Amino acid sequence: MRLELTLNGSPVDLDEDPTATLLDWLRSLGLTGTKEGCGIGVCGACTVLGDGRPISACLTLIGTLDGVSVLTVEGVAQSEPTLVEAFVDCEAMQCGICTPGHVMAAAAAKLAGIGASADVDSEIRYWLEGNLCRCTGYETIVAALRSYLER
Amino acid sequence: MSQATAERPASRGDARAKATGATLYTADFDHSGALHVAVVRSDVPSGKIASVDRSAAEAVPGVVGVLLADDLPGVLCGRRVRDMPLIARGVVRYAGERVAVVVADTRAAAETAASLVEVDITELPAVFDPVDALDEAAPRVHEAPWSYPGAVVTEVMHPNLQSLVEAGDPDATAKRLAESAFSVEATYTIPSTKQGYLEPQAWLAVPQSDGSIRLRGTTKSPYRLREQVSTCLGLSPGELEVEPTPLGGDFGGKGAPGDAPLCVALARRFRRPVRLVLRSAEDLTATDARHPARVTVRIGCDPDGRLTAMSFDAVFAGGAYASHKPGVTVNLHGAVEAALGYKLPAWSTRSRVVYTNTVPKGHMRAPGATASVFAVESALDELAARAGIDPAALRAANLLGDGDRDAYGHSWEQARGAQTLEAALAALVTSASVPVPAGWSSGTGIAVYCRPTSAASTSLRLIPASDGSFVVEVPIPETGTGNHMVVRELLARALGVSADLVEVRQVATSQLPGDPGVGGSRVTVGMAVAVEELARRWAASEHDGAVEVESKASYPPVLSYAAQIARVAVDPDTGQVKVLELLSAVDVARVVNPVAHQLQIDGGAVMGFGSAVMEDSLEQDGLVWAANLGELKLPCAADVPRLTTILLEGGLGIGDANVKSVGELTNVAVPAAVANAVANAVGVRVRDLPVSAEKVWHALQASESGKVAR
Repeated sequence: MRLELTLNGSPVDLDEDPTATLLDWLRSLGLTGTKEGCGIGVCGACTVLGDGRPISACLTLIGTLDGVSVLTVEGVAQSEPTLVEAFVDCEAMQCGICTPGHVMAAAAAKLAGIGASADVDSEIRYWLEGNLCRCTGYETIVAALRSYLER
Repeated sequence: MSQATAERPASRGDARAKATGATLYTADFDHSGALHVAVVRSDVPSGKIASVDRSAAEAVPGVVGVLLADDLPGVLCGRRVRDMPLIARGVVRYAGERVAVVVADTRAAAETAASLVEVDITELPAVFDPVDALDEAAPRVHEAPWSYPGAVVTEVMHPNLQSLVEAGDPDATAKRLAESAFSVEATYTIPSTKQGYLEPQAWLAVPQSDGSIRLRGTTKSPYRLREQVSTCLGLSPGELEVEPTPLGGDFGGKGAPGDAPLCVALARRFRRPVRLVLRSAEDLTATDARHPARVTVRIGCDPDGRLTAMSFDAVFAGGAYASHKPGVTVNLHGAVEAALGYKLPAWSTRSRVVYTNTVPKGHMRAPGATASVFAVESALDELAARAGIDPAALRAANLLGDGDRDAYGHSWEQARGAQTLEAALAALVTSASVPVPAGWSSGTGIAVYCRPTSAASTSLRLIPASDGSFVVEVPIPETGTGNHMVVRELLARALGVSADLVEVRQVATSQLPGDPGVGGSRVTVGMAVAVEELARRWAASEHDGAVEVESKASYPPVLSYAAQIARVAVDPDTGQVKVLELLSAVDVARVVNPVAHQLQIDGGAVMGFGSAVMEDSLEQDGLVWAANLGELKLPCAADVPRLTTILLEGGLGIGDANVKSVGELTNVAVPAAVANAVANAVGVRVRDLPVSAEKVWHALQASESGKVAR
């Protein structure tokens, strides 16, 4: 199936099996920052943005992405240096396998305009609900997102 | 958590690479021409393999081979006890055991072909519960377990025993308990769960032109793994090299050899690179999980609240193979140390690990301790209630103090359990209140964990550069704990240079003398001692080349304490438990890196919270039903209660750096603290983890106090 999409800001024409997952396709391009954790959309390690919204790359079939703008952690690392700095400064990682997914969830949260309510902490935790971290206890990840919103 | 994290400069050398997705884990390495492996697993817990039809699988394009046990060396593998075959031979002993493996040019072809292998297994009687397995008439999981290399059991023992540890004086204990003014006896159970790392186990074995294999994979113990795989497959030194690779989480689960021996055997057979990346469901249902346990505690005190005696009897379901446990006794240290923290005039401990037809169990963060501390610290509260004594006062009066001898007769120079508990109680008083939902009852519960740790041997090499910077080569992977950062900071201090001038680099197993792997809360301590030796050797050298140390680390062990208080609210109508706050007082010596230290405390507390109220592998009749990370119910950011930490710094540590452990402290006592808080809130005792709404509700229905609470 032929389709056109935007990947990290660049237009891509491709002729792929539409039933391939976005995760496998990204990783076949060497974009291995998007990780396979649970493989069924509950852990968030493969979170990328599709038209600015967080999606699980492991559940997204290539055939559904015609005309969609896909942003991965490699793209965000270029386009949103303050987001990366927030995670680095807050040491919002230990093993790091969930970190790209959390970075993408944070990018999506900012695009969605969170931070307006009085209870920012709860808002942040709501936006991070789809991303598991077994190492940190989430405190520094929440701090990183708060810091990013303030930058 | 500690404040001002955003202001201080990051000291994690790997932070930027991890935040940009640049860090490469095992599954991120591809190798052109690699064969992909998919495993055909038994779907029954016990049976005789009647037939395996590979014809349909072999016809799948891209399939290179479909292998059964007879196609690979007939060897047994393990960390200590070598009882696990590469592929089941004749019989299967757990659902999830390898029955056949498919190797193919692509992962898709391998997985498709694996689904087409026709396996016919005649079911045999199975045993799942470890107490049932000790019945005289129980089905035998193995015919002669004492015959396996490394076995610690003998022919006179029950044939389903993997390990038996007995200590103390059962007769004197029974006598003292019978004479005690107050005593309680209760049995506590915990289910299996998984370590919960997000990176499934993965391996890449690459044959070299000289016939040796370079192995990359999810191991926290590269040197031990090299030894285990070499022993299993009969390789000579130099035939296997384990490559440096960071881990996407461990928590004890990545010390087992896993599929490494299989992948090395396949790479040797096909003389091509072999790649096996488990799917998460396989990882959750077929790899080393936490031991489910049943623990019976009898404990007594005199009218003044002095403990008189404790008998501790634990039975752990070890699963179908003992291969994932490394200890000399093949037991779990948390159970062996169950009587350690308190002054006990009489005590006895028995810990039995039992073969069952379930997935082989392994280590998870403070192995055995979650079950043991849940039991002992719950029983202490039950005893306090019976004796009419405040639970905190009961503990304070009986915790070991400086110079006291523990149950095993070891005298501890410093034991700060009571001070740690006092700090937790003081913080509870000043901690801001958390709103309790209308109509709910609130309560607090305490639990204490006492953990001995010592330094372990390791090795390091320091390589100077002409610009004044250094590379330090380490034998262990960065598992996430910050162990590389700890080496960097300690070495920079010892050399008197900026940490920016020190780069830490894990090297392959041929490059350093050895190391026992990450674990046992020993890494910071062991590395601190080795760094000191390395810096001394550097100072004494001509500064014209690399220096290396092989640290033997002969220091006396030290104790660390965590005293934790849970504040909970319970809905008396539904039994729902909401943990409002977890307060952790932690007994530490010198903190090397405050942020990394706090992350270990927070991460531990949240893991303990998961064990307390959420997690369960849902093992039933030998099958694991929590076969995905959602069903396993790992805590997410929105689940986490308020975390408060109090550090009791300045304790006695090890070495010039004066450090001690923190990694396996705060996860352990949380379940008991929560169960005690629920009992405090609504008057019912849940003795089975997790403390779910259903269990609380049923207990409320069954109890008089339940009617009162309504």
